Amino acid sequence: MQSNYRLTTNILRGGIYVCLFALLIVTIVPIWLLLVNATRSTIEINQGIGILPSTHLLENYYILEGKGLYLWRGFFNSMTLAVSSTFLTVYFALLTSYGIVVYNFKGKQFFSNFIVILVLIPMQLSIIGFYQYMSKLGLTDNYASLILPTIANAGSVFFAKQYLESVVIRDLIDAGRVDGASELAIFHFIMLPIAMPGAVTMGIFAFIASWNNFFNPFILITSQEKYTLPMLVQTLRGDTYRTEFGSIYLGLAATIVPIIIIYVIFSKYIVSGIAMGSVKE
Amino acid sequence: MLQMKFKQDHYGYLFITPFIIAFLIFGFYPVVNTLYLSFTDTTLMSKQVNIVGFKNFTNLFNDDIFMNAVKNTWLLWILNFIPQIGVAMVLSVWFTSLRLNIKGAGIWRAIFFLPNLLMPASIAALFFSLFGYYGPVNQFLVRMEILPEAMQFLQNQNIARTLVIFIQWWMWFGATIILLMAGMTAIPESLYESAMMDGATESQMFWNITIPLLKPILVYLFVTSLVGGMQMFDIPYLLTDGRGSPSGSIMTNNILMYLKFSSSKGHIGAASSVGMLVFIMTCVFAFGIFYFLREKD
Repeated sequence: MQSNYRLTTNILRGGIYVCLFALLIVTIVPIWLLLVNATRSTIEINQGIGILPSTHLLENYYILEGKGLYLWRGFFNSMTLAVSSTFLTVYFALLTSYGIVVYNFKGKQFFSNFIVILVLIPMQLSIIGFYQYMSKLGLTDNYASLILPTIANAGSVFFAKQYLESVVIRDLIDAGRVDGASELAIFHFIMLPIAMPGAVTMGIFAFIASWNNFFNPFILITSQEKYTLPMLVQTLRGDTYRTEFGSIYLGLAATIVPIIIIYVIFSKYIVSGIAMGSVKE
Repeated sequence: MLQMKFKQDHYGYLFITPFIIAFLIFGFYPVVNTLYLSFTDTTLMSKQVNIVGFKNFTNLFNDDIFMNAVKNTWLLWILNFIPQIGVAMVLSVWFTSLRLNIKGAGIWRAIFFLPNLLMPASIAALFFSLFGYYGPVNQFLVRMEILPEAMQFLQNQNIARTLVIFIQWWMWFGATIILLMAGMTAIPESLYESAMMDGATESQMFWNITIPLLKPILVYLFVTSLVGGMQMFDIPYLLTDGRGSPSGSIMTNNILMYLKFSSSKGHIGAASSVGMLVFIMTCVFAFGIFYFLREKD
């Protein structure tokens, strides 16, 4: 009886590893082909599938540049947007949630519930009204229209609130007050350093969200020299590059390699952050 | 001491003020403005604007393209959500099972989650290249003699839809595993132990302990996936020509909204009404799910 149970468990386990391996292939192969093909010439790509990198990375890059697609500029633009959005999101999410967690003001519960509702509401669908309003203010084709709204990022406030509730040390705040520190100074010099791990997690998500965002810049940004990477990806789909497969793959690789690097370094933060954003409630 | 505390509590307003101001300017007002525009015939070109009442909305309901886009969006979402939650549930059970004791669960999970972080625009362009006429998939299938000759995958309606569904599934099942596993590991082991004492089978324990206790997470997954799914844009937009081709089979709500916005005249009144209808539809379903599935004490 006992050995029978162990036998079925072992057979089951074997089957599961086969399934996991199949899923691993499905997950990895498209990404691997993308990365490898970025280093292969169009001729090599046309000759057949290769799973080993080749030597035509730079050549592919120059083909793109020759056709007026400046990958580095798109990279720099995306980086500028993502870094500034990340700082604003993290700073103001911590500021707002600190206000909710530490103080007992009238309307606090209402505000806190309101944030939860905001997380669920598809605010993106008001993009047309947003666009028209920004064009009246002269802020279309301007990064400000993409960066400033991140001050009010409900999802991050929700996350920051969950996080602060577990790390805020009230005695430390009171000690700061006894020493005569102002409330803002206590937040900036005592709480922010304590909240750093949460800030990093939040920052990674804010960075990736901005980096991958296609729809908003696609609607708001018009001049070529301000194009972000996802907008260049859209350009790559056009006729100019139809047969330059190596260069197309290189353009796509440029958008995902930085994210893969971030993931390799910070995967612990990212995986635990996914679970933290929702589970407690 | 008490009075001092009272005075400090006012600082709460100071801390939340930047959020409220930014929300009013960049969140609330755009919604109001979109609502207003949806009752007008505003275009990007014209100076004169007329209030047209519900005309934009009645036009949409009589417009087969819009009704088709709504139908497609639901179809693409539901057909990706079911396998997403199904596969993730099975894997989460395997990874958390003490009996199976799967090695390296954390590593498997970390790899399966990777596609979720990659740029959707690039993923769509990647699959466009992989499934192109001269792409690697055709090369492989022809060389293995599975297909007699290369095939125009992306000109076939069912294949295009299946690809959108597959990509969405591919990008999201790993994230769903992380959430489900977080929920499963939070269930006290003692519940399963006492059920085993009473002679419960594994499937009985799954349906009577695991699923009911996972309900809050399942509701969260359901609602967030729905809200995201109703706004699907990047992948169907960049997988084919940006018009939902072939024959509108992957036309979604947001693609239609964008097409009205980017039409030569820039019909932002009509585009706004698409946005508003989808906004209302999503909110009704999201809060409906919340209301019906809430914890009844």
